Amino acid sequence: MIDISNLTREFNGKRKVVALAGVSLSIAKGEMVSLVGPSGSGKSTLLNLIGALDTPSSGEISIDGVRLSGLSDNELTRVRRDKIGFIFQFFNLLPSLSCEENVALPLHLRGWDRRKARDRANELLDLVGLTKRTHHLPDELSGGERQRVAIARALSVYPPVLLADEPTGNLDTHTGADILHLIRDLNARLGATVLMVTHDREVAATCPRTITLRDGHIVEDLVRQPAL
Amino acid sequence: MMLLRLITWPYVRKHLLRCALTTAGIVLGVAVFVGMHTANQSVLFAFNQTVDKIAGATQLQVSAGETGFPESVLEQVQDAPEVDVAVPVIEAAVQSGIEGQGNLLILGVDMTGDRSLRDYDLDNADEAIIDDPLVFIAQPDSIIITTAFSQRTGLNLNDKITMQTMAGPRQFTIRGVMKGDGLASAFGGNLAIMDIYSAQMVLGRGMRFDRIDIALRPGIKVDDARLALQARLGPGLQVEPPSARGQQFEAMAQVYSMTANITSIFALLIGLFLIYNTFNIAVTQRRSEIGILRALGATRAQIRGLFLIESGIAGLAGSIAGVALGVVIARALASYLSTFLGEVYGVAQRAEEISADPRLLLAALVIGVVTSLLAGWLPARSAASIDPVKALQKGRVQVISEGENRLRMWIAFAALAGALACVFFGHQPIFFYTGYLLSVVAVLLLTPALGSWLTRLLRPLLKAVRPVEGALAADSLLQAPRRTSGTVAALALSVALVIGLAGISRSSYDHIRRWMDAALNPDLFVTSSESLTTRSFRFPLSMAAELAEIPGVEEVQPARTARIVYQGVPVMLVAADVAKIAQRVQMRVIEGDPNTMYLQAMRGEGVVISDNFATLRRINKGDTLSLPTPSGLLKLPVLGIVLDFSDQQGTIMMDRRLYVQHWRDETVDVFRIYAAPNTPIPALRQAILDRFGAQTRLFVFTNQELRDYILGITDQWFGLTYVQILVAVLVAILGIVNTLTVSIADRRRELGVLQAVGGLRNQIRHTIWLEAVTIGVLGLAIGFALGAVHLAYILEITRRDLAGLRLEYQFPLEIALLMLPVLLGSALLSALGPAESAVRGSLVEALEYE
Repeated sequence: MIDISNLTREFNGKRKVVALAGVSLSIAKGEMVSLVGPSGSGKSTLLNLIGALDTPSSGEISIDGVRLSGLSDNELTRVRRDKIGFIFQFFNLLPSLSCEENVALPLHLRGWDRRKARDRANELLDLVGLTKRTHHLPDELSGGERQRVAIARALSVYPPVLLADEPTGNLDTHTGADILHLIRDLNARLGATVLMVTHDREVAATCPRTITLRDGHIVEDLVRQPAL
Repeated sequence: MMLLRLITWPYVRKHLLRCALTTAGIVLGVAVFVGMHTANQSVLFAFNQTVDKIAGATQLQVSAGETGFPESVLEQVQDAPEVDVAVPVIEAAVQSGIEGQGNLLILGVDMTGDRSLRDYDLDNADEAIIDDPLVFIAQPDSIIITTAFSQRTGLNLNDKITMQTMAGPRQFTIRGVMKGDGLASAFGGNLAIMDIYSAQMVLGRGMRFDRIDIALRPGIKVDDARLALQARLGPGLQVEPPSARGQQFEAMAQVYSMTANITSIFALLIGLFLIYNTFNIAVTQRRSEIGILRALGATRAQIRGLFLIESGIAGLAGSIAGVALGVVIARALASYLSTFLGEVYGVAQRAEEISADPRLLLAALVIGVVTSLLAGWLPARSAASIDPVKALQKGRVQVISEGENRLRMWIAFAALAGALACVFFGHQPIFFYTGYLLSVVAVLLLTPALGSWLTRLLRPLLKAVRPVEGALAADSLLQAPRRTSGTVAALALSVALVIGLAGISRSSYDHIRRWMDAALNPDLFVTSSESLTTRSFRFPLSMAAELAEIPGVEEVQPARTARIVYQGVPVMLVAADVAKIAQRVQMRVIEGDPNTMYLQAMRGEGVVISDNFATLRRINKGDTLSLPTPSGLLKLPVLGIVLDFSDQQGTIMMDRRLYVQHWRDETVDVFRIYAAPNTPIPALRQAILDRFGAQTRLFVFTNQELRDYILGITDQWFGLTYVQILVAVLVAILGIVNTLTVSIADRRRELGVLQAVGGLRNQIRHTIWLEAVTIGVLGLAIGFALGAVHLAYILEITRRDLAGLRLEYQFPLEIALLMLPVLLGSALLSALGPAESAVRGSLVEALEYE
């Protein structure tokens, strides 16, 4: 599903920073993988590159059989639109849109009919347990509820890949556990590949596979045996 | 101060373009205010300077408006015990006939007495002639010019100048050149002195003087002498110090001053909304910064103070730049205005330098700063009320409180109700102007609600244009009306200003055309000056009979037009053969019976006045006018009121015989000629020129030429209006650029999210473009509505307080239609830069942006 080979990302500011240095990695369809490492290890950079939000200095990324290198901005956007769903630490919901409108937003961008988009948004809000909050603004929701809206938005077209950047980082332990449960459930029910960045070892441990990054390199790729 | 250095300064440095755009609103507002008023003041100053310099040691002047008075008055004045020196003067601005030199001010003086009032300071002269005034008089072809005029034209001592005089072409010899910055610098140096009797001949004045300049005996108080002389000469003549002429000129230019005031107020209001909008967005953007400050112990008052000081500084910076720009504008405007006022009012002045009044500049600075502080008040209050806990939570935005929305709506409806109530008491100026102000305030306060409502209406249309982007653009505007309402309000004000100016221009043109059709129907006009507003040269009445003898002439109507001073303000007196005029001219009668009023006027039983004179002076039919004449006060009833556009201050029409009897002036300014049927007009015109060309100075205009001339003057008047329209459109464009720039910066994360969840670059671009165009549509729609109301008010202001003109309400549809592509195109162009910056930036940074 996700194939990465020799991926490098350098930032050329006042001094050159190598965020990722020749990372290679392969994630199969339906896997749920956590990405851990200390601050500055390159985990968010890797997630942004996989999500086609950023372009690598060198190396290759392939998502669901589509090679990202050489794609135009519009083609990259289409990859994002059709194959990837994002879940952000700070939710990145549009404050002036209701829950339903936030979830329907990617569908509108695809040119979906308003009614069809609304039906899908309600279906997804139902999926994440927010049926009664459809018309609320993000400001009127708790942190956990906002993250559920963000997850529903990420699932809007049931993308094959879900990328989550510290999805529980802005939530209390109990709510964080709920959100993780939801993501795991969606992974199991929808078969989406999930890649989750976290700095929390306990959160990472809930995933069958954990990749550890340090100074732009993969230092560990741990696959846990499923509990019998 | 420390907060300013630590918090504000880095923000300003980071957002230099935005800050510049914000202050640009105030820059333009202040610049328009300073530019228009300084230009006006410069022209008035130039006029006063000319008056002062020509006055020399004159303490009092005796005059009778433009009609002049018989020579016998001089003896009466000279006999007065208060008078030390009294000398007659004829003063007239005439075309110099020298390319690039414009008008030349001819001063006819009596050299025997005049040198005790005026210092001629001769640089170069035929001493024998100048030193002995009698010799100067004995040489009637003598003139004195100034060094400046000599240098500009290359004319020197003993050179000869040929002038077209009322007695045909005459050659004059330069017998002196004046220097210095006294008399020689009056009228920009374009001055020629000649003997008063020569001036009478040149200008066709007969045995009349324009003015008597007086120096009083030592120890006599000017006020006492004025009263004594006024009593001696009677109320028909004005005895005033020279400075009174400036006040009369100021009264004539009042229409322009009022227009300048209205435009300046609108320009400043537009600036106010631009600043309000930017500060509003700045408060939203800097909420985390405010939260940190509050968390660190800053009080609400300190936060409010910080934002108010910022708006004050923006206002001060904008005002300083505005004052500088205003002076530049004034420089360009003054000479145009000078020529224009000279054309319209026929008054001699020459504004070559800018006279910037420090009090005006200070007032402009204060107005700019106060406007900015007012604009910053609400955002500053919002900033102070920010909850530090919420502000410090990432990804959390405080939205405008419902309470504030409700309060604004209530105030708006109250203002609207107040405006409507004022309509019923509109006859009283205080209620009328309060109603005007309240209606503007109501529309501006309703702008966010109107904007949302209109956007909802537009949403299906936008969606039809671009299904995704259209809906996104509409939703973005609907969900954050506060972000754009300031710009929509600024845009609406600009549009309303344009509609008002264009509307009044259109109505004026229409009325002037209709009036010309009715009143100016002679085939030819024979005048003594190139310009119809200049009445320096006069024909003798005897010419009427000679003109009538020319084959092809069916009727000759001699007319004398002159400004007289009525209750301190110059007003136009038209003396003509009322019987003949009534037969030929069908002026619209506002009050009176056309069948009897002209007959009565013909018998000298009263006067017919113009509608604008009646309105401005609150005169009704049947009222009695007390007109000052050289023979005393003439009391006449108003027989009727007609629609007439001859003069902005209004006209009094009377029978020529009555005029001659009381003013003892038989001269004529213009002959209205009606051709016999089937007479070729060009041939008749040539016949007149052939008959009189060598004998006198004259100009023959065809009906069409006269109409073109009047429309030309109207064009000049509205030329200023078009400059104002241009400024309004520029401000509108500036507003859109400003809003989009700050709005895009404000929505960086939002736009990043849009791209992250699948928005194509083109979709983002189109969304922003459509948003900009929609802002333009909202501004235009609300502006058209506000403009329609504004136009009604300014037409009424024009009628009741400015020119007394009863102009019909006509919405300027053509200009409105023209503004659609101009403003929508500008909105689209304004959006290009911000849209590109939105899609070109780093997506990762945008998503992390707070």
